[in-house]
Amino acid sequence: MSKRYTRRQFMGRAGAAAAGAAALGFGVPAVVHGGEGQWANLTGRFVYDGTPPEREKLKVDKDVECCGKYDIRDESLMVGEDGGLAGVFVYVRTRSVEVCPALAEAVEARVTLDNRDCIFIPHCMTIWYEKQEFYIVNSDPIAQNVAFSPLGDVPANIVLSPAPGENVDATYSFRRKQSVPVPIACNYHPWESAYILPQAHPYAAISAPDGTFAIESLPVGELEFQVWHERVGYLETHQWSRGRFEIIIPPEGLDLGTIKLAPALFEKDE
Amino acid sequence: MLLLAAGCGPAGPPQFRVNLEGYDAERVSQFQRQSIVEPLAELFGTPDEPLVPAGTGLQPELLAMAAGPVGSDEEGRSRGLYRQHCATCHGVSGDGAGPTASIQDPYPRDFRWGVMKYTSTAGGAKPVHEDLDRLLRRGIPGTAMPAFNNLADEEIEALVEYVKYLSIRGETELLVVAQVVQQDDYPVDRDVLIEDYLLPTAHWWELARSLVVERAEAEPLRPALATHDERTASIRRGYALYSSKNAQCTQCHGPEGRGDGPQADALYDDRNKRKLNEPPERFALPIQKLRPRDFTEGIFHGGSRPIDLYWRVHVGIKGTPMPAGGPGPGSGGVLKPEEIWDVVEYVRSRGE
Repeated sequence: MSKRYTRRQFMGRAGAAAAGAAALGFGVPAVVHGGEGQWANLTGRFVYDGTPPEREKLKVDKDVECCGKYDIRDESLMVGEDGGLAGVFVYVRTRSVEVCPALAEAVEARVTLDNRDCIFIPHCMTIWYEKQEFYIVNSDPIAQNVAFSPLGDVPANIVLSPAPGENVDATYSFRRKQSVPVPIACNYHPWESAYILPQAHPYAAISAPDGTFAIESLPVGELEFQVWHERVGYLETHQWSRGRFEIIIPPEGLDLGTIKLAPALFEKDE
Repeated sequence: MLLLAAGCGPAGPPQFRVNLEGYDAERVSQFQRQSIVEPLAELFGTPDEPLVPAGTGLQPELLAMAAGPVGSDEEGRSRGLYRQHCATCHGVSGDGAGPTASIQDPYPRDFRWGVMKYTSTAGGAKPVHEDLDRLLRRGIPGTAMPAFNNLADEEIEALVEYVKYLSIRGETELLVVAQVVQQDDYPVDRDVLIEDYLLPTAHWWELARSLVVERAEAEPLRPALATHDERTASIRRGYALYSSKNAQCTQCHGPEGRGDGPQADALYDDRNKRKLNEPPERFALPIQKLRPRDFTEGIFHGGSRPIDLYWRVHVGIKGTPMPAGGPGPGSGGVLKPEEIWDVVEYVRSRGE
């Protein structure tokens, strides 16, 4: 039996439930996680267990006067000096995960995507869509385009004027979470790419250039995580079917240690 | 198998085809298919007997006129309008892969992605009723989409409503399939189906009304074009804007609007972009490029009235690389309304 919602009710529902419960201090039934109000961190380090191939130089054939001077290379497999693998997304997959209130207060209002030096910076982002706005800016002296179509959400196809000047920025609000990162493209400069993952919570991390990642203040207890990398999609290993794993976060936090990934995993399918 | 899927033969009344575009259909199990087909049938019914899920605002009497086999009821009201006028190209499921689709360029619209190209609504929004009504009445010149202005008003309304129904059903199905197939997560929880998939989809259609770029506000900003000099001045300004680095029009449309810009040979709409580097057997139709408009042809798919061209430039063409030039939600736009009118004048002048 489905309920009838007016538009206002629908939009307000999610926000009101959270705000109302918190404001009145009513006992919202505790999510089944051990230890009320206990939060702990998950950390780890991804390592590419081998010598990475040289990053392909991308074909820069538009706005060459401006973009030709940059050494623009493929960013789909970024391995650091001692093998650290960047750009691995690790995020909580469990529905309705409890969120640490301190995180809601500390979260930055915006996640910024810059068009700079003829590429998107950063290449990978996560966004807590209910709390954060996606802010897109152009720092290049050429017009840029930012286009993405998140499943079940409003598509974007934004043009930004050359910087400095007017209309060099735009904002976008995601209205739903996505199960995998959303690819971002530029219709004017086809070599550009980026990925953004909108989630309904802040528990999403991307591994740094040295391969390390940290998800802070997770609720103590059992959680399911998803691991994703642009080169392969779900980062499936013999332990992680479909790139997913379930673990129990203990009160003192959990370090997954060094996770070695075989080069064969990242082979591009031809 | 294909014939049964298309609804011919002794298999019974036509059924909606499951949207597995892009997926390897052979790896989808019976249980997965069931998890997709059953909840959708419960919410939306079948091609012969549509149901209206609560919260979508669809009108059952209009759907009844469009759905089902061709004929009329006891009171002489039309039935089966969609099958009579639309299904040959757009398919019974609205998948844009009807029997005549494969020979068309561009392909008929696949309503199931919830994207309509020629709208008056800003910012990635759905079309409003008038947009679809206009399309049906005028057709899409330069394509196989005919003008249906000979149909009665009520019949056109019924078809617009049915397209909306197919679209809402289609987008809901996309989300269900993403969960069941891509995420390998089934069955679908009913609350999730209604609240996370169905209602937000229906909500986008309601929201479109508030994002219309109103003709009544746009037209007064048009420059005076009474004299030859005024018109020439507008065309010159429009050409300067068209060629400027600001909006990058020439990238696709070329330096003189002949659709021969540097990007022109590598453009795809969203539906076809998905097919790049993917096994072709996962898609109903082969990949098809998108050609940017050559203004010198003087034919414009979305209509060639000044306001039609204004809308195309202002809000862009959804689901294609053609971006929104004018202001929209979250973005100031690279062209002001007056500037857009000048660009429109330039574009029109090319077709003369």
